[in-house]
Amino acid sequence: MNYFLELVVSGLAVGAIYGLVAMGFAVIYKATGIVNFAQGEMGMLSAYTTWALATTLGTGSVLTVLLAVVVGALIGLVCERLIMRPMLGEPVLSVVLVTVGLAVVLRSLVTIIWGASPHKFEVAGADDLVQMGDISLRVSQLGVLGALLLAVAGFWFFLGHSRFGVAMRAVAADEKTARLMGVSTARVQAVAWASASGLAGLAGALFAVIYGLTPTVFELGLKAFPATVLGGFDSVLGSGVSGLIIGVFENLVGGYLSSTLKDVAGFTLILVVLMVRPFGLFGEKRIERV
Amino acid sequence: MRSGYFKDHYSGLVVLTDSPTVKAWVGVLLLALVAAPFLLGNFALSHLTIILFTLIGVLGLTVLTGFAGLISLGHVGFLMLGAYSYAICVSRLGLPPELALVMAAVVPAFCGLVVGIPSLRLHGLYLAITTLAFSHIVSAAILAGGKFTGAGRGITVMRPTMLGFDLSSDRAFYWFCLVMCTLAVLITLNLRRSSFGRAWVALRDNDIAARAMGVNLVRYKLLAFLISAALTGVAGAIMGMYLSIVSVEAFPFLLSIEALAIIIVGGLGSVLGAVLGTIFIVTLPETFSALMDVFGGSLKEVMTTSAHEVKSVLYGLAIIGFLRFDPRGLRGIWHDIRQAWVFWPLRY
Repeated sequence: MNYFLELVVSGLAVGAIYGLVAMGFAVIYKATGIVNFAQGEMGMLSAYTTWALATTLGTGSVLTVLLAVVVGALIGLVCERLIMRPMLGEPVLSVVLVTVGLAVVLRSLVTIIWGASPHKFEVAGADDLVQMGDISLRVSQLGVLGALLLAVAGFWFFLGHSRFGVAMRAVAADEKTARLMGVSTARVQAVAWASASGLAGLAGALFAVIYGLTPTVFELGLKAFPATVLGGFDSVLGSGVSGLIIGVFENLVGGYLSSTLKDVAGFTLILVVLMVRPFGLFGEKRIERV
Repeated sequence: MRSGYFKDHYSGLVVLTDSPTVKAWVGVLLLALVAAPFLLGNFALSHLTIILFTLIGVLGLTVLTGFAGLISLGHVGFLMLGAYSYAICVSRLGLPPELALVMAAVVPAFCGLVVGIPSLRLHGLYLAITTLAFSHIVSAAILAGGKFTGAGRGITVMRPTMLGFDLSSDRAFYWFCLVMCTLAVLITLNLRRSSFGRAWVALRDNDIAARAMGVNLVRYKLLAFLISAALTGVAGAIMGMYLSIVSVEAFPFLLSIEALAIIIVGGLGSVLGAVLGTIFIVTLPETFSALMDVFGGSLKEVMTTSAHEVKSVLYGLAIIGFLRFDPRGLRGIWHDIRQAWVFWPLRY
């Protein structure tokens, strides 16, 4: 029972990271209708940049987390302005393939700049243990859960109650009409990319703090895919919650079945989800008319 | 008297080419390719061999993504399946290499059917994710396969003797690749101009409208997966023979990206594009390192220490560059050049 609880709790911590990345996927999909395959790579680049900045500046724990968000958002803005903006109005297939190209470039650049050997991302107090009943958790793991809760709450408010959030949903629902109403699609896209990349930066940095900084951090993007699919590509909050489900599921498979299966558990799950309920648990069902 | 180019039969419209010039040039090209081993050095010959077997795999992806419009990020999964089926058939089951090569097409084709089933319900992006998941599951399954699949160690493959021809020399292997590649090109070209090709293109452009016209969606989508996976599997088997070892590391995810880059750079949905794209992308890292040698300095060092990364950056930039500036790809540029050549000094 204790083993089970431990698996669930550490699964929740990993799942929260997946959730953050998955929310980024959903934000971009909702605002622009494309899947950003470079999400994990933007997280990785932000994590490395934050690490480089934090070690030179010697920032504290809270400041480092904030730095990660800001660095992530900036990277997102730059990518959007230089690469995605000129692709506005192109067919979805081309735009998605551009993000695939972007992903490959970012991934290799990180290895070329910082090398392939792992680094330790030191943040003061992150490795302290907190005892909760029988289970002990690291502060960083609790921090991740907190970050996910904050992000979900923040996006719930932003999308539902702020002027810009409503504009974003309008663009997602019907781009042409939204433009006729005076909403700038380019600005919506820029904000979507900045916030998605900020989330990815947050997730990447937290992942690096807990599990170490290696050039495989980008796999976070692949791991978060199942969460987005499970939650529904157009459901930002659903994706965040589904991250937790995927994290726990993966950990249980890894703990009780085998560690090789752990890596593909999420993918096997999405194959089932896609066949049974392609629009996800919280997504909207689309009806197509010719 | 004829006053222009008119086709009075349907067969005239779908014929591969009606121009004697094109036929003559293709003949010259084939002769040159057959004679290449006598003219080229070892390095150039192995480079040409790589281009040939890469092209077979790329044609597989052309059928799936170019013709049928189904995005696949799991191309490397089929390559791996083909290579492993061949290696297992030869070294574990002791089958003759000819039969093993057939199995290298059959096993991926069967798996292609399995991956194809979800594609019947899914569109574009979801399918890309499913195929991505598929390739990860394949490599995980191979790693978990223990002794039978060689797990992390891989399986050693010897160059076989096919139909009485010994392929162990580089020249013989080159000719074998040339024959297989020519066959693959002919198959794809003929598929495109047959009813299959027209049905795929119709499904790609608008699947609901195509169904209303009587195109059987289930049959043609599955068929696209089947044929694409079979072609790719054969390419994987030949790649395994070339590398003389089949392992998970020999088939990185980068190969999926490389294949996608090739069909984008060449121009989506065309066999000529696939050929031009393969030559361009396979030669790109070599050209780049040659350029770096000229400029020298620290860049050259980067090239030697992280060749894999530099290669990926180049592929990525090629994808982004072509999609951004000329989505028609090399085929479009080729058409422009030909047009300019024919009509010079007039513009059209």
